[in-house]
Amino acid sequence: MSQSNYSADPAVVEMLERAKKDGVMTAFDRAEAMRPCPIGRDGICCKLCAMGPCRLVARKGEEPPRGVCGATQDTVVARNYLRIVAAGCAAHADHGRAAARLLLAVANGETRDYQIKDEMKLVKLAMDFGVEISGRNIEDIARDVAKIALEEYGKQEGELLFIKRAPLRRQQLWRELGVVPRGIDREITEALHRTHMGTDQDYENLLLHAVRVALADGWGGSMLATEIQDVLFGTPYPTVSQVNLGVLKPDHVNIIVHGHEPLLSEMVVLASREQRLVELARSKGAKGINIAGICCTANEVLMRHGIPLAGNFLQQEVALLTGVVDAMVVDVQCVMQSLPEIAECYHGRIITTSPKAKISGATHIEFNEHNALESARKLIEIAIEEFAKRGGNGYVPNYAVDFVAGFSHETITYLLGGLFRASYRPLNDNIINGRIRGVAGVVGCNNPRVTQDSAIVTLVKELIKNDVLVLETGCAAMACAKAGLMNPDEALRYAGDGLGEVCEAVGIPPVLHMGSCVDNSRILIAATAMVKEGGLGDDISDLPAAGAAPEWMSEKAIAIGMYFVASGVFTVFGVHYPTLGNETVSNWLFSDMEKLFKAKWAFEPDPEEMAKLMIKHIDERRKALGIDKARERILFDMAMRRQLEAV
Amino acid sequence: MEFPIERRKRFDGIDVEILGETYEPGKPQPEEEGNWKRKLQTIEEIEKYLSYAERYWYSTEWYGSEKRKTPA
Repeated sequence: MSQSNYSADPAVVEMLERAKKDGVMTAFDRAEAMRPCPIGRDGICCKLCAMGPCRLVARKGEEPPRGVCGATQDTVVARNYLRIVAAGCAAHADHGRAAARLLLAVANGETRDYQIKDEMKLVKLAMDFGVEISGRNIEDIARDVAKIALEEYGKQEGELLFIKRAPLRRQQLWRELGVVPRGIDREITEALHRTHMGTDQDYENLLLHAVRVALADGWGGSMLATEIQDVLFGTPYPTVSQVNLGVLKPDHVNIIVHGHEPLLSEMVVLASREQRLVELARSKGAKGINIAGICCTANEVLMRHGIPLAGNFLQQEVALLTGVVDAMVVDVQCVMQSLPEIAECYHGRIITTSPKAKISGATHIEFNEHNALESARKLIEIAIEEFAKRGGNGYVPNYAVDFVAGFSHETITYLLGGLFRASYRPLNDNIINGRIRGVAGVVGCNNPRVTQDSAIVTLVKELIKNDVLVLETGCAAMACAKAGLMNPDEALRYAGDGLGEVCEAVGIPPVLHMGSCVDNSRILIAATAMVKEGGLGDDISDLPAAGAAPEWMSEKAIAIGMYFVASGVFTVFGVHYPTLGNETVSNWLFSDMEKLFKAKWAFEPDPEEMAKLMIKHIDERRKALGIDKARERILFDMAMRRQLEAV
Repeated sequence: MEFPIERRKRFDGIDVEILGETYEPGKPQPEEEGNWKRKLQTIEEIEKYLSYAERYWYSTEWYGSEKRKTPA
């Protein structure tokens, strides 16, 4: 495969040519050298006990064999799938836990580096959790909120509190099906127990628990992470920034923050503005300190500070190829082990900061909430030292695109109506009158098994051309930002007339950046707000809406997809799907789930076909709502009005 | 002030000349400029705002489509 087939991003293609010339391997090369194991890929390998591993491959025309323990292929595939969802949920949940622990430390005055920045979000959480507000100071409210948030993890009975945010009909459905999560940790632990050798051996029972675990992510761990981070760092509002490798500055100290948890990176941003450190950088010949981001840590600091994005998941190694990154500070999730080797070849230090995520060859500087700002200063000093050692062979490709981010649910509500008429009414009205055909959530990662960014950008262009408003998070959002789809002027060229008109009137691009991968919970809330506003049905499954992850790769993506489907959103995944080796489990997810949850999964690797599936679903929902055709407008006179029954 | 003249098609298809944009393209700076929440200063103002902006969650006086004569 040539470098141009590796990525749709010209900056990446340019840098991969450099890597090839230098004989440096990246994920793109490794993906080519390492073909996927077909048995593992299809989910039909069981290695849960020492009687195996068992490969349940069926010979043509024969029944698939059973494992040594007697487990059927259905059971093995469902167990593997449940473990994927549990791992994804665990990653998001632990992220939320870290945020909740930090909030408690702030409320208790145990750290002075952080503060409560968003009182409105704190008040909202207090109302959700039943915490008394009136007459109390902010720290007392925050302490109670943080304690209740932490209790959500260890709770043994009852329901997660955020479940009450969902549409009433959806809540009722979950209760009827017995899938309402009780406690976040309980559901994850139970998933591992059920999938232990010789325990749950009914594929449907396993898959229903996968739903419960996924809901503990979307309406639990992820939502807690988003909401508490908003309290501590501020709920995002529109901010202008730039994306792609061109944001790196050869004459500055360049620090990249990478991973998922913004607790430390918030401090890195603060410390980078301190006069002492800026002067220190200048004394070494730099013009200043430049912070940029990769992956979802980047999305977090982008949404709240406008910090530029160096790129998405597959650009972490590529950024180091520039030779101008002085330090890459990583926290948790989606960090490649190859980074220290590439930094060794080019320049810079890889600094791990979480006790949960160390990498051989990297420098480890442990971060905790008590030494946050001090750790951040130390990291920046290391980066400045590295700048002084930088050679003259750095090269930054000249690609940087302007875009707008920061569309939280709260900000969308405000933008649609202002301070005195804040509401989703204009959005619902424009969906009902057909200017906007529907809404799509396009999320997820990059995957070197497909051309980087290509499927995401093709899908999103197709959707907005057909008047579908697109909400994005994670690395998918970065792909569209690089393609100019989050720049209001540029993106309107691709949007259909109806969607373009609405976006122009409101002053937003047709593709809205809603944050990091835990911020998919913002999309759940936006969908719920549309339902509650009225006119588009009584449940999320009634909305003309769909979801997709065209280039997914992580377990977290499957957990996200599962909570979207369980919440009523038709969801399509590309690349591959981890149950395709078994018809029974795939049929349950791709078909039977619709009977239970009024929504289902689909698998379609071709982005144009994916767009057709999503638009077809949106049109079916419009028809069911009776908004597929323009209605004749009748001006009612007083006599006609008198005949109307009071509602 | 000099206005640039732009040619556009009117709703009925006739070509017309209109006065064009005169504002500077500019970007919102500094960081805090778009922070609309600064307009709400006290807890009371926040509670009041939430009771109508997010009325379906934080107010008992409003009825969305879910709370109709025939309950969802």
